[in-house]
Amino acid sequence: MMTRAGGRLLTVTGIDRPARDIVALHLADPAGGPLPEWEPGAHIDVQLITRHLRQYSLCGSPDDRTGYRIAVLRERLSRGASAYVHSYLDVGKKVRVWEPRNHFGLRPAERYVFLAAGVGITPILPMVMRAREAGVPWRLAYSVRTLEEAAFRDELAELGEAVTLRATGTGGRLDLGGFVGDLREGTGVYCCGSPGFVEAAEKAVAGWPEGSFHAERFVPVPRDFGPSEPFVAVCARSDVRVRVDAGVGLLAALRREGVRVAGGCLKGVCGSCAVTVLDGVPQHRDSLLGPGTLDRMHACVSRAATPEIVLDV
Amino acid sequence: MPWRTGHRRLGAAETRGLLGEPDPETRLKILDHLDRNCLTFIAHSPFCCMATADASGATDCTPRGDYPGFVRALDERTLLIPDRLGNKLGDSFSNIVENPHVGLLFFVPGVVETLRVNGRAYVTDDGDLRTMLEQDDVRPELATLVEVDEAYLHCGRSLLRSRLWEDDMRDLAQEIPSPGTFWADAAATEGLDAERLDRLFDDGYQELY
Repeated sequence: MMTRAGGRLLTVTGIDRPARDIVALHLADPAGGPLPEWEPGAHIDVQLITRHLRQYSLCGSPDDRTGYRIAVLRERLSRGASAYVHSYLDVGKKVRVWEPRNHFGLRPAERYVFLAAGVGITPILPMVMRAREAGVPWRLAYSVRTLEEAAFRDELAELGEAVTLRATGTGGRLDLGGFVGDLREGTGVYCCGSPGFVEAAEKAVAGWPEGSFHAERFVPVPRDFGPSEPFVAVCARSDVRVRVDAGVGLLAALRREGVRVAGGCLKGVCGSCAVTVLDGVPQHRDSLLGPGTLDRMHACVSRAATPEIVLDV
Repeated sequence: MPWRTGHRRLGAAETRGLLGEPDPETRLKILDHLDRNCLTFIAHSPFCCMATADASGATDCTPRGDYPGFVRALDERTLLIPDRLGNKLGDSFSNIVENPHVGLLFFVPGVVETLRVNGRAYVTDDGDLRTMLEQDDVRPELATLVEVDEAYLHCGRSLLRSRLWEDDMRDLAQEIPSPGTFWADAAATEGLDAERLDRLFDDGYQELY
């Protein structure tokens, strides 16, 4: 069982059900103090009393410093956390929460196209609100299987015609290519949903300018990195050299030697286990960083492209 | 004469006579399913013991532990138990395939009562069920599905008397030989010395999934 340092206990101050199979949790400081700031697209690590640690997008308003809102889907094959939240979390209970992080920030653009599917609406909703406040043109396509699964419908209904809500069970799939249109220059496309949905959206913007498309994923991008080579992680702060064998991950190898590194999803999608690279070249195998990033890496799945890599751990 | 033989063996009536009768209300707490309270206990329990028996009735009792709620209640009559990394002896599995009856005793740290669940089990490699048991990115190869026949809360006197959850009881641990000593003494085989075996334990304990 992983215990992780830091974080703060927040109280569940409200629970509501924005859609069938989704609960929204309102979290606040027990003493009523302000919570750390965040920007649309941010997520928090949430640890339940069962010690399950999960990442949830913040879906409230960044202007509200008194509370966070997250939404949790009831998963048919829950690995524990979703089932626990739906069955046992109550108003007044506490969860441990770490500072918001953001790998899915909204960058300036002349216009925005937002694409969300299912519970993927959560990071998108604050983006929509931000675009609206800023007066930047935007439109949102929100795909759900049935209308009962559409979350935050009241909030979305107030946004008018810029929202296209599609129940694919009755209305068929969205034509994402048609929805994103062909005004490529200056359009930022932000997408969150199932792997199939994100893949379809990626296809719809094939050939668009670099940096147009931004996606938040719940599962890793499937890629083949070839065989894993052993390497040595030199831990500058702990003053140990850790051999990472071909069949072992960096995070696991570090922990074996007693080097403490935070862990999160362990799949390379959440970014909890970022470590600073001081020397050597990381081979990014996560779904967040590309070969251009040399100063940090995600220890859960990424490895070294050089025989040695020096880490600030 | 050895200590283990030669004493008076009691039958059911004599034993009951000395034990006395339970309060009539006691039997009322025995459920044939998991009610909300039992489900809550299991959802917060990080540890249980599982008793199994082979076809002849010879028993094993083994510890199971993980994140609280690691034994998943799929509904009020069904429990799902992951098979985590262990010694691969598989005593419980070889028993269950011969004899489905299992007895589970759930603990929650700090709670003196324990939850007893009896039922019938089978071993499965069902993909969906194993997915639900994934922990720290590792999906177990095997799972045990238990159909619940009986469930009830066992009173806390034994844990109160034993002071099991009291911190000051931890001084007992220093009196216990190391696991390598147990193994080396039991094996009594050249090359299997306690120090080396303790290192194996230490290494093994780094890898929990």
